[in-house]
Formats: sequence, structure tokens, C-alpha cells
Amino acid sequence: MGPAIEVRGVWKRFILRHNRVETLKGRVLSLFDPRQRERREVFWALQDVSLAVEPGETVGVIGPNGSGKSTLLRLIAGTLPATQGDIVVRGRVSPMLEIGVGFHLDLTGRENIYLNGSLLGLPRREVERLYPAIVEFAELEDFIDVPVRNYSSGMHARLGFAIAAHLDPDVLLIDEALSVGDEEFQKKCHDRMDQVRRRGKTVMFVSHNLRAVAALCDRVGLLVHGRMLAVGPPDDVIPRYQDLVAAAQAGAGRMLGPELPQVFGVRR
Amino acid sequence: MRSDQRRGDGSVDLLRYRDLLLNLVAAELRAKYRGSALGFLWSLLNPLALIVIYSIAFRSIIRIPIERFPVFLIAGILPWTFFSSSSMAATISLMVNASLLKKVRFPREIIPASVVLFHLVQKVLALVVFLPSLLVLAGHLPWTLVFYPMVLGLQVLFVMGVAMALSVLTVAYRDLRHLTEVALTMLFWLTPIVYRADMVPATLRLIFAANPMTSFVSAFQDITYWGRPPDPGTFLAMAGWAGASLVVGLAMFRQRAAYVAEDL
Repeated sequence: MGPAIEVRGVWKRFILRHNRVETLKGRVLSLFDPRQRERREVFWALQDVSLAVEPGETVGVIGPNGSGKSTLLRLIAGTLPATQGDIVVRGRVSPMLEIGVGFHLDLTGRENIYLNGSLLGLPRREVERLYPAIVEFAELEDFIDVPVRNYSSGMHARLGFAIAAHLDPDVLLIDEALSVGDEEFQKKCHDRMDQVRRRGKTVMFVSHNLRAVAALCDRVGLLVHGRMLAVGPPDDVIPRYQDLVAAAQAGAGRMLGPELPQVFGVRR
Repeated sequence: MRSDQRRGDGSVDLLRYRDLLLNLVAAELRAKYRGSALGFLWSLLNPLALIVIYSIAFRSIIRIPIERFPVFLIAGILPWTFFSSSSMAATISLMVNASLLKKVRFPREIIPASVVLFHLVQKVLALVVFLPSLLVLAGHLPWTLVFYPMVLGLQVLFVMGVAMALSVLTVAYRDLRHLTEVALTMLFWLTPIVYRADMVPATLRLIFAANPMTSFVSAFQDITYWGRPPDPGTFLAMAGWAGASLVVGLAMFRQRAAYVAEDL
């Protein structure tokens, strides 16, 4: 049995479509008028990225905005195809990158638990088994038959988290860079990740929160401009990233691109 | 250990996601019918209105020579409504579910398939309501209704293929939705629903032969109105259309499905 996640020489190309033609009408017009034509630009979001995550390991991925972290996670989750290279995931991966994405607002909490379970490929019987624990964890006993539309944002988050926390995937992918939530909620996420890790599950974690990465991860990958610059223990890789950020901030180069201030905003 | 999670190439076990398909259909049905006990009756309103209006227009005003005209209309309009509403809903189905498609990995075929199944359930419910009225209007139910599941099954396969193609094409060309609407209106009048197929002049026969809905609607009229089994030629045509539509529709869908999340 090999690594839980194996990424081998993966390239991901996005076609940026400027002046995008997305109607048949536009397509026809562009035949006659060159100004109506779309310009296509190739953008390599990931360039020759390799990474192996062993079962039971927690690996973090850090890097500035737009460096390809979320793209990498989506490729591993299977929502986007790789342009080149191989990705193998062994075991059941939780394919949901954001909590609460699969909610149908017109349905009740109960119905959404079943919908989410099936979104993750769980058999109905399995969801039935997990159901009481999910409801209890979310503390929604009194509201479980109310449409999710009428939930407060806190209830919404609790239900989403409870579902994710009880699905028990072999591989947990978390894209914190994209998730929103208050501090308490983020802390709950981290506690949960720690629990998952202790149970020997594999976790891959994309984050701007370097303190959380240092505390939770066995190894860290540093992704800059779509290239994996370093993979190693947090104590080695995080300082390297901080040096890069400091260097860029000092104007020593445009290494990290214009998104840098945001990186700092998140770090502090 | 299985390594079935290779990229988003759609090769994952579809059966594993049967519950998802059923849950999505159930979710739509619940969302639609919740909050109004009469919710289901609303979905009957459209075919009912068509039947009343066309009965007046074509029976009382234009005096089309068809006996028991409302029965004839019911036979053709129910399968037409299933086809047209499935097609319209399919065009926007991937766009409506964009957030799901971007963030959760599951076989993409499930989205258009759930649209077709949702409308199939609607159609079957409508049938349950219209069958008694058929009994009242016609005095009896023809034995040939035993063919209904078979003809409907072929139509479902046909509609499935159309829905697959329309859903991915509309992601690339957003105005396809409006074109589909226009095309459906034209196709309605080019399908023998408010008139009999044998009333079509010989010069126009070719157009009607090229319209897949002609054979499906004719077959439904045969078994609900005329009380005769569809002839083997009609069955062959339906099977041909169903097969071709599925093969082409699925091929188009599979070719683009992996990239749908990028284009949404």
C-alpha cells in the first residue's frame, strides 16, 4: 500500500478567456468582427508539482494568494482534471472542500443531512447510522425539521460542520483559504482536524494561518507561482516562506506578485 | 485498496451515487410541493390549460375532424410536456448547480439525469390524474395501455440523451436556452399533437419523419387513443432515436464534463 495521496508531475493549465464569447450569437458575430473575438491566454496554475502524503500524515500547503494551493486541492478532490501528470488517492476522500456547500435551502435539516450524505457517496444506511450523532453534535434537535432557509448562520455552520465531522473519510481535504467563519468556528475546525489526525487519518490542509499549520502539520509544502518550492518539516518550510514574504515586502523583487498585502492581512 | 478517485474523469461507480440521484429528485419534489398542499395541482395546470384551449380552438373553431378530441390531446400533450419541460430545465441545470459542481466531486451526469427523472415523476403523477378523466371521456381504458411503460421507457432514454447534450452545450453557449425555447415551440407544431399524423400532406412528410417526437407521440396516441399497439416500424424508430440520442448525448457530455467546473 502506497501513499494516501500521490501527486506526480502534475501540471494544470487554465485558459483565461478575455472578452469571453459565451453565446452562439457572439460566436457568429465574431466571425465578421475581429474585435468581438475572444483572446485566449494560457495560465499554468500548477507546474510540475509532486507530493506524496503518507496515510496518517497531516500535510499543509502554504503560499501566497494565486499560487495554486486551492487548485491543487481541487485536483486532488477530483473536481478539476489535471492537464498532465497523475493523481492517485487511496481510500475515501471527503470531496467537499467547503462546509455546507451542498445545502438545499428549501429542505429541512434532516433532509439535508441525507442529501449531503449521498453527495459524498455514502449509502443511505450509513447516513441513518450517523444521523443521531450528527444532530446531537449540531445541537439542532428542535430545529431538525425546519427548512435550512430559516436557520441562523450559526445553525447553518453547525449543521455543516457536524455533517463533515461525522463522515469519517480516510482522507480529509480542507481549504481554509476559501472558507469563511468566525474565530470560534475556525478553532472548532482545527480541533476536529487534530482529532482526525489522532485517529490516523490523512489530512491535507491549505491555509494562510501559519500558526495553525505549524501546530497541526507533520510536513508543509510551499507553493509559489504554481511550483512546489519546498516540502519538509514546518520548522524548515515556514521560515522560508516568511523570508520570501519579507523579501518581497522589502521590494527586493516581485517574486510573490501584487497579492502580497492580502497575505499579510491574513497572517497577522 | 481501491484507487477510484483519479481526477474528475467520471469513471467512478455510478451505482454508488444512486442515492444521490434519488435524493436530488426527492429534494426538487419536496421543495416544489412544500408549503402548498395544492402544489402538485399547479403542475397539472399547464397541460390542463393546453388541453382546454386546444379543444376549444381546434374542435369548436377550426373543427378538426377527430373524435373525442380531448382524449386525443391528452395522449399527445403529456409526453410532449415531459419532453419540453425536461429539455428547458436541462439547459440551465449545470449552471444552477454551479457551486455544487465546483466544490463537490460526483459523477456530473447525475445533474441532467435528476432533471429528467424529476419531470418523469411529474408526468407519471399527471398520468394518474388524467387516466380517470380518460375513463370518463372515453368510457373505457384501452388494453393497449399495457404498452405504456415500454413506450415511456424509450422516451425517457431519448429525453436523457437530449438533456445531457443541452446541459453541457448551454455552459459553452448561454443563449442556447432561448434557442431551445424557440425550437421547442416550432417542434410542437411540427409534431402531430393537435392533428393526426395522416393529415400531414405528402410534401411535408419528410420533415415529420425527421422529427423524433413524431414517433413517440404517435406511439402514445396509438396506445391511449386508438387502442392499438404501435406498429413495429414505430417501435424501431423510437428505439433508434433513443439509442442515437443517448450515444451522442453521453459522448458530448463526457467530452466536456470534466471541464464543466472550470467554465461555470
